[in-house]
Amino acid sequence: MNKPLVILEKMSTGYFSETVLKEVDLEIFPDDFIGVIGPNGGGKTTLIKAILGLQRLFSGKISFPRGRPNTGYLPQASQIDRGFPITVKELVSAGLKSSNPLFPHLSPKQRRKLNAMLEEAGLAGLAGKPIGELSGGQLQKALLCRALIDDPQLLILDEPNTHVDKQFEQELYGWLGALNKKMAIMLVSHDIGTISPIVKTIACVNGTLHYHPSNQLSEEVLKVYNCPVDVIAHGPIPHRVLKSHHHD
Amino acid sequence: MTDLIQVFEYQFFRHALAAAVLTSVLAAMAGTYIVSRRIVFIGGGITHASFGGIGLAYYLGMNPFAGAAVFGILTALGIEWISQKGKIREDSAIAMLWSFGMALGIIFVFITPGYTPNLMSFLFGSILSVGRVDLQLMLAFSLVVILLFVVFFRPVLSTAFDPEFAKTKGIPVARFRYLMSVVIAISIVLSIRTVGIILVLSMFTIPQITAMLFTRNFARIIPVAALWGITGSVAGLMAAYLLDIPAAAAIIFMLTIQFLIIKGVFITLNNLRRKGARRR
Ligand SMILES: Nc1ncnc2c1ncn2[C@@H]1O[C@H](COP(=O)(O)OP(=O)(O)OP(=O)(O)O)[C@@H](O)[C@H]1O
Ligand SMILES: [Mg+2]
Repeated sequence: MNKPLVILEKMSTGYFSETVLKEVDLEIFPDDFIGVIGPNGGGKTTLIKAILGLQRLFSGKISFPRGRPNTGYLPQASQIDRGFPITVKELVSAGLKSSNPLFPHLSPKQRRKLNAMLEEAGLAGLAGKPIGELSGGQLQKALLCRALIDDPQLLILDEPNTHVDKQFEQELYGWLGALNKKMAIMLVSHDIGTISPIVKTIACVNGTLHYHPSNQLSEEVLKVYNCPVDVIAHGPIPHRVLKSHHHD
Repeated sequence: MTDLIQVFEYQFFRHALAAAVLTSVLAAMAGTYIVSRRIVFIGGGITHASFGGIGLAYYLGMNPFAGAAVFGILTALGIEWISQKGKIREDSAIAMLWSFGMALGIIFVFITPGYTPNLMSFLFGSILSVGRVDLQLMLAFSLVVILLFVVFFRPVLSTAFDPEFAKTKGIPVARFRYLMSVVIAISIVLSIRTVGIILVLSMFTIPQITAMLFTRNFARIIPVAALWGITGSVAGLMAAYLLDIPAAAAIIFMLTIQFLIIKGVFITLNNLRRKGARRR
């Protein structure tokens, strides 16, 4: 039996009294890989914040049939203050929960896990560096480690491809494909072209949510969904994946 | 020179030195948090709003620093509340509390019958009249804050850096933010005693930006800032004694000069290194 991890039912949310997302319905299953696309200001970030419990709901509800899932969150780059004096190691360690709230230090086991993670990600040499001295790709890698270190059931990534080069982006998508065998993933992006080969389904977010149960989406459908996003292909992959009726 | 040695025989001067050291330690901890979170303006709001408490306490015939502490803590909690609710523009709200506190203080001092208190000592501190009880209070509070930073370092750091992520990991973010607001407010009010309202913020920022020339690691900035705070404020005290100038102003002057000198050394060293690299 495949119970969903998260169910959103007629959920509306926003800021102050302004509604940003209206009547969103969505189910997230443990093996999902959902690409979340939509225009700037469409409400993608707001949607994932609602799922993470960071947003007050105006109406509707969010439920967790399997209990509140352990989440790994990679926020949008604009939310990270790169001038903050925190080291790579401290940043990644923030992903580990402390078992004792009155003495919230890392256990020896957690410390080993942290070092192993940094080693595996190739960040061990940068562990003591402040995040302000990292390249865009290195910072995204560190943020991904912070999201992953607690073995989440649901990984939520808000535009992890900002400030990184194409090569790192492809590398990242490779990792995500492998990670999806163990966890549900929601990947926010502006660019449906590059993510559509790796995601399984697509959610178009623009004031509300249109769920598309496949990773192939034509411009016509995007229009019906009122979801004006970039469908311009980057590189050779999207041509194969995007079934554009104009071309064939 | 003998002058300088003799002065240590005076108890008031030894007290002043101890106050300078303790203020530096307190300001190093709270200040590093303030500077890292880029909330120096909030520190300014708390500092000036507490003057309202000083005035009210005078009017009621109570200890002015108790009044300052109450106003400072309430202002700090209020600002944190506003920023968590996000319903009013935070910077405007701070500016309002800032000037309202000052206005209230002046009104109360003005309508207090009898003698007018020495306003200068609140605006510019009175480090040379710090007593044993003041020192004990500062020492006790410093120890509490050190303990707090040592035990709760991880959640304090992660709620300061990325509160939303911290919340997804089940950390009681609001509780830590309020706790740190109170720590900042009490640290500021205790420091007002030594350096005064006008100058207190520089004790919370100049040693930090000096320390940040050496390290960008939160946990290391604190001791390094405490060290530069101590050297600067002790040098300031000496200068104040030798040149017979106001102590708090001399301390801030020395902290600034110290920063400029170290910054200058860093720039020169960098230039030399770059030139060396080019020659090779
Ligand atoms: N903290 C906030 N306070 C008030 N309004 C906000 C806040 N954050 C977002 N909004 C508004 O909510 C709407 C949706 O924003 P959101 O960040 O969810 O969009 P997005 O789809 O993630 O956009 P982008 O692609 O630019 O990241 C926008 O109109 C924005 O102005
Ligand atoms: Mg966004």
